[in-house]
Amino acid sequence: MVRPDEFQMGLSSRKAIYIQFPQAVPCSYILNMDDCLGNNPIACGKCADACDKRAINYDDRDQIITREVGAVVVAIGLDVYDPTELDEYGYTRFENVISSMEFERLICAGGPTGGHFVRPSDQERPTRIGFIQCVGSRNPKVGRPYCSNICCMNTIKDTLLLADHYPDVANVVFYQDIRAVGKSFEDMFQRSKEAGTRYVRGLPGEIEEDPETRNLVVTVENTTSGKLERHELEMVVLSVGVQPAKDMSRIASMLTLSRTSDGFFMESHPKLKPVDAPTRGVFLAGFCESPKDIKDSVCQAGAAASRAGALLNAGQITIEAITSRVDEVACTRCGVCAKVCPYGAIVWKKGEVASVVEAACAGCGSCSASCQFGAITMRHFTDEQILAQVHAVLAEDPQDKVFAFACNWCSYAGGDMAGISRMTYPASNRVVRTMCSARVSEEMVLEAFRCGAPVVLVSGCHFADCHYINANRQTVQRVHKLWDKLEKAGVRPERLQLEWISAAEGQKFAKVMRQLEELRGTVTRDEIEHAREALKAKPGKRPGVRAAEPVVEAPAAQT
Amino acid sequence: MAETTIETFRCMMCGHEYQEPVVKCEDKERSCPKCRSNSIRHLKKRVTKED
Amino acid sequence: MTTTHSNDGELRIGVFVCDCGLNIAGTVDCAAVAAHAATLPDVVCVVRNKYTCADPGQNEIKNAVREQRLNRVVVASCTPRQHEPTFRQCVLGAGLNPYLMEMANLREHCSWVHPGDREGATRKAKDLVASAVARARFLQPQEELAVPVTKRVLVIGGGVTGIEAALQLADAGHKVTLVEKQASIGGIMAQLDKNYPTMDCSI
Repeated sequence: MVRPDEFQMGLSSRKAIYIQFPQAVPCSYILNMDDCLGNNPIACGKCADACDKRAINYDDRDQIITREVGAVVVAIGLDVYDPTELDEYGYTRFENVISSMEFERLICAGGPTGGHFVRPSDQERPTRIGFIQCVGSRNPKVGRPYCSNICCMNTIKDTLLLADHYPDVANVVFYQDIRAVGKSFEDMFQRSKEAGTRYVRGLPGEIEEDPETRNLVVTVENTTSGKLERHELEMVVLSVGVQPAKDMSRIASMLTLSRTSDGFFMESHPKLKPVDAPTRGVFLAGFCESPKDIKDSVCQAGAAASRAGALLNAGQITIEAITSRVDEVACTRCGVCAKVCPYGAIVWKKGEVASVVEAACAGCGSCSASCQFGAITMRHFTDEQILAQVHAVLAEDPQDKVFAFACNWCSYAGGDMAGISRMTYPASNRVVRTMCSARVSEEMVLEAFRCGAPVVLVSGCHFADCHYINANRQTVQRVHKLWDKLEKAGVRPERLQLEWISAAEGQKFAKVMRQLEELRGTVTRDEIEHAREALKAKPGKRPGVRAAEPVVEAPAAQT
Repeated sequence: MAETTIETFRCMMCGHEYQEPVVKCEDKERSCPKCRSNSIRHLKKRVTKED
Repeated sequence: MTTTHSNDGELRIGVFVCDCGLNIAGTVDCAAVAAHAATLPDVVCVVRNKYTCADPGQNEIKNAVREQRLNRVVVASCTPRQHEPTFRQCVLGAGLNPYLMEMANLREHCSWVHPGDREGATRKAKDLVASAVARARFLQPQEELAVPVTKRVLVIGGGVTGIEAALQLADAGHKVTLVEKQASIGGIMAQLDKNYPTMDCSI
């Protein structure tokens, strides 16, 4: 069985049983069951015959190992960009166009050529080598607008390596900017130039191949001189960028992590909590947080380790007191709360009063919002508290205001991001924070309209980011019910809007607020008045709407 | 095989109405193909033969 | 924890309006916001601070809680996602249950996003404070549940980052489980020949 060797970027081959690379840890042979023909006397079974220690076990299978942990460090790294889609560089058409990862294997003493740098077409050593920067980086056309951070310095390193091994080599680097920001990086850049590397500002539009020599002709506009240049090169290295690892979305949903628009994991705060994930006890390090080099990865690994260690050393954590409680008298035993709870934290049997398992309750408030009888109190985000905010905000000139509910984790944080990034939007909006968008009950939205709000927004996390597994699907259902209700009452349903805004989407938050302000401008005074009347609460329907008066607890125990 | 039906959606922000195949019980975040808004209202099925 | 304030069944709310240097005060008329706060129900004291989160600001909160017998505190400053723990700790230091503190976000959600609209931003800031005060009137003390932390860390990914994090945690005496999808640890770095800036081998 012969397969392309993944470790050598497919530049050499391996068997179905192999060691990944000589320095592998653990350094033992692995039997790749995708490639193995199995222990079948007709097909194969040779490795079992050859192994006199009888170490081959064809029946070994994947196992699920359960470990209880107090903290998680996420360091799942990156995928290297595959330049196949950028056809103009001919990565798949021309043998002598390689990626920078393939370059690494070709120049490495442990690589397929033993470190003798040769080009694929004729196994000859090239003397004129071109490097093209920003392949799959800073390129919105291929969905990668971000800088990959490492490719400039990697190319500079490559040119220095080549100059060191083969003084006769002439390198040319095609770039848009050289980003040599880091300790001693500028010095390396200068050394690369002193070693004879030519830096041409401008990215080639196209590469052609000379069919006879298999040399590559690169046409580029030198944006420094403004002249069109033709370079005949024996080999071209595409300095490929990096991208979020394929597994990121799975890990994200497992640990309820958010991702930036580029796809990397979102930290709790870009400056002050750079390695904390929004989920408590989860820490981020390395490339999965953002593109960075080895030194920065090691620094961040240390930071994450220290944060995780601090959590473990503390010995215990306090869980916020935001959990729900059932009022046994008001409960009608309908069981709706148990159905909507994403955590299965509500125990209910037909004909019985529901009860909350507090240790399992995460505090989204879905249950409280879906209870038609006001029988569930969401501690610290009670109906009374939220309705009091609705009333306070809309007490004066409600017609001038856009009323918005925002979830703590994503959309409220998106508003914070808009602030941190100084993205401006009209000052008409008034945001009330709940832990989850699913906490927003029908009554809360209706009450906002009754108080004269021209426009109401319910906003939460994107589906994949919901911090309460999937509680925001309840939000969708509730908003649909409300649209029906509004329509029935002759109220324009468009006055209720729904948006998913992640913690990273400051720009979207600002855009939504501008759109809502525009929408507000279309709502007439008559419409507002009509909604006030048409949506009037039927007396005795739900206790949440009553003009509640605060209760101050009896004197706390003095110690 | 999951049942697929063609359903109608209306964007409550820009008013754009569009149809899309929907797999029964799918869990999908919706956004307007025109204006990217998430205020997407799933309109009641016009054709009821799948029900 | 000694509860120094007397809770005699009457709501006593203190509002602390933060200038945040010029971060808030540069756009929002903080004096007008403070004056408005004083008119809100059950508000018995309003204090303006230059930086509420700094020690002098926090001390002003603590003193006011003690002297004015406050049983609810509203801090009108920045996002609760940044300083809620700070001010919860602060009121706890003055003997108040931390859940009796509420914040109004006058910075990220107001001054920073409406720099050209002093009037609109001030109007909004007044509403945000009114909203926080209204909510504060209904706040109840809550007790947090303490849960033991399992003494083991999971590190997902055996590249240079994961290896380094795992080693540091293990060096600090913690049990670590390192998970890697490949047969060997090393990640992408193991595939590289030499690394910058040291120009030495990656493995």
